[in-house]
Amino acid sequence: FTEMPTDRFVESSFWNFDALFQPQQHPARDQHDTFFLQDPAEAPQLPPGYTAKVKKVHTQGGYGSQGYKSQWLLDEAQRNLLRTHTTAASARLLYQLAQQEKFSPVKAFSIDRVFRNESLDATHLAEFHQVEGVVADRGLTLGHLMGTLRQFFTKLGILGGQLRFKPAYNPYTEPSMEVFSYHEGLKKWVEVGNSGVFRP
Amino acid sequence: MPTVSVKRELLFQALGRSYTDEEFNDLCFEFGLELDEVTSEKDIISKEKGEEKAKGASETVLYKIDVPANRYDLLCLEGLVRGLQVFKERINLPRYEKIILAQGKGQRLIITEQTVHIRPHAVAAVLRNIKFTKERYDSFIDLQEKLHQNICRKRALVAIGTHDLDTISGPFTFTAKAPSEIKFKPLNQSQEYTASQIMDLYRTDSHLRHYLHLIENKPLYPIIYDSNGVVLSMPPIINGDHTKISVNTRNVFIECTGTDLTKAKIVLDIIVTMFSEYCEKPFSVEAAEVVYPNGKTHIYPELAYRKEKVKPELINKKIGISETPPSLAKLLTRMCLKSHVTGNGNNLEVEIPPTRPDIIHACDIIEDAAIAYGYNNIQMTIPKTYTIANQLPVNKLTELLRLDLAAAGFTEALTFALCSQEDIADKLGMDISATKAVRIANPKTAEFQVARTTLLPGLLKTIAANRKMPLPLKLFEISDIVLKDPNTDVGARNYRHLCAVYYNKTPGFEIIHGLLDRVMQLLEVPPSKENGYSIKATEGSAFFPGRCAEIFAKGQSIGKLGVLHPDVITKFELTMPCSALEMNIEPFV
Repeated sequence: FTEMPTDRFVESSFWNFDALFQPQQHPARDQHDTFFLQDPAEAPQLPPGYTAKVKKVHTQGGYGSQGYKSQWLLDEAQRNLLRTHTTAASARLLYQLAQQEKFSPVKAFSIDRVFRNESLDATHLAEFHQVEGVVADRGLTLGHLMGTLRQFFTKLGILGGQLRFKPAYNPYTEPSMEVFSYHEGLKKWVEVGNSGVFRP
Repeated sequence: MPTVSVKRELLFQALGRSYTDEEFNDLCFEFGLELDEVTSEKDIISKEKGEEKAKGASETVLYKIDVPANRYDLLCLEGLVRGLQVFKERINLPRYEKIILAQGKGQRLIITEQTVHIRPHAVAAVLRNIKFTKERYDSFIDLQEKLHQNICRKRALVAIGTHDLDTISGPFTFTAKAPSEIKFKPLNQSQEYTASQIMDLYRTDSHLRHYLHLIENKPLYPIIYDSNGVVLSMPPIINGDHTKISVNTRNVFIECTGTDLTKAKIVLDIIVTMFSEYCEKPFSVEAAEVVYPNGKTHIYPELAYRKEKVKPELINKKIGISETPPSLAKLLTRMCLKSHVTGNGNNLEVEIPPTRPDIIHACDIIEDAAIAYGYNNIQMTIPKTYTIANQLPVNKLTELLRLDLAAAGFTEALTFALCSQEDIADKLGMDISATKAVRIANPKTAEFQVARTTLLPGLLKTIAANRKMPLPLKLFEISDIVLKDPNTDVGARNYRHLCAVYYNKTPGFEIIHGLLDRVMQLLEVPPSKENGYSIKATEGSAFFPGRCAEIFAKGQSIGKLGVLHPDVITKFELTMPCSALEMNIEPFV
């Protein structure tokens, strides 16, 4: 797995949300979950051709999807924020990959800081780190995703028998799975990760 | 994730069998729900207000179930039960029917042009001869609230109003009027108020005050009347008292008004499909006609059944299983997506009911097939993708330097990237406008006002928190700072900095200088003015005059080092002398 560049704490709503099919009215884009920026407040440049495509998929659908059929405002996409997940960097990576003349498979990862506007308590910080991995190739299946995750967690010491997958929902992946592991100390299953197959 | 609270007994009664908590947990896990908490009203009040207040509260066991944010059909007991029963193949998915009465007999909602600027869309329907019990009534009200919170975005996009049809007579008019012209008795009040008075009345109401701003400062407020001038509601604030529904209501008129037509239609479909179960003719909904300002009419609810064709091989391929088309059809039918095999047995026709607005692409259908198959039954494989891996150069350099700085006797610290304005400006003797700092618009506390432009405050705060540790304190951090940069596509970018501080009874400038020399040695940069590194005496607002130097390498200034100014030391609540080094390591990547 090759390391992805994640050198942007400051991201535009476009890369953090819109390019990931997160609707503009989604609660996660609220004031109390995301750090929006006062200065610089707006991203000066967004890729023009791609922005138009993203707008179309949100409002009318496309690529086999019905879309959200609701309003899509450019202003909203231009709002700058502190990234809420490193998937924003993955989105950029996939865009670069799509610009290549010839497709080549990619396995990439990143471990970096993300920011969420939460009150601090025993299990929540405003800034924390995320580990993210992306595999792009032809003919990948949900079984492959589960296999990769199992290997990953095995390396961390969480063995295969203690891993279970649960259906979940992310705006940008379908199918999506939450990964649960059995915690000996707490004697219950706890969520250790989230995953999914990116929507076409 | 929205949480639905259901009484365990009611749930098991509707499901037709009992489960242990663990069995039910497993069922939820399989289906994609999460049994968050098993509690009771008494427990809830106990936790929030104390044991005393909880005395006499109900001990009926409640299940709090977390529901995926895109499944509006699972937001009430009725929907959950229906979904689970179909999943377990105990019932077939009911077919929802729209009954359109003969011309002139059905209810009509007329929209006037005044609504265009404030709340242009409206849809309506009737639930005829419905039988409520206390539980069903509570569930009905709860569902409206849940929908308001979720898809309606706190009533901003759509607002729901439900009315006792027997207390009013159509046709109904949806218009907008100036606040002074609107007067009616709001729900549960004892007298009439004008709209402006209503605004004041609910300003302190813990529930309704959050919605006032949606219409408060507009010239016209939305209002719905019946043919006799009785007010049904003033969306999105409150319904009229006259039309309130009770357990005894038999006929319900539902209207959804809003700024997003697609969502209004979805909301109406969900409410009627969920509760038409209790109508005399189960799962039938009486349609209503909506008349637009331009004279066009439309029948609601849409209750659209959409057909999609999906190839079985696609489903098998994407998941990594190999099921026959008939068995895939069965799996999808279990998820409320009625399917059958068509073509020569190599195609699947899937019918998407009005309760599943979340199915917008073939991949949604594929996910449902996988859920029905059982995620944990899928064989796990490793992708055969062959790639050659690389570490990002700047991170590789960081890792190498970290090891060596630790070997030099410095301890690594990991600090927050967000800090207060004073931390990067005033406390360092600078003006905030001189820094190119990125500002946060909505910080929760003053500690998160700006993104750091220097690693120094973080390290100094770390020392301040560790004053009881034995001296000398030698800390370092190699991490990102953020600066505004108009040349990037977002307007700011990260820079990888290295910062080290030495805190002791003596400032230890020579120790910090020695560290710099060591770092340069590791980076293989010779100490020379032409093509190596050099330092030059300079002034720095955070540094002691005459004890500060600028570091030059590869022809550019990359940082500073020196003894910190006593003012800076005091502002960070420290008492001993301190020397520091901070530089940008990106030129060395």
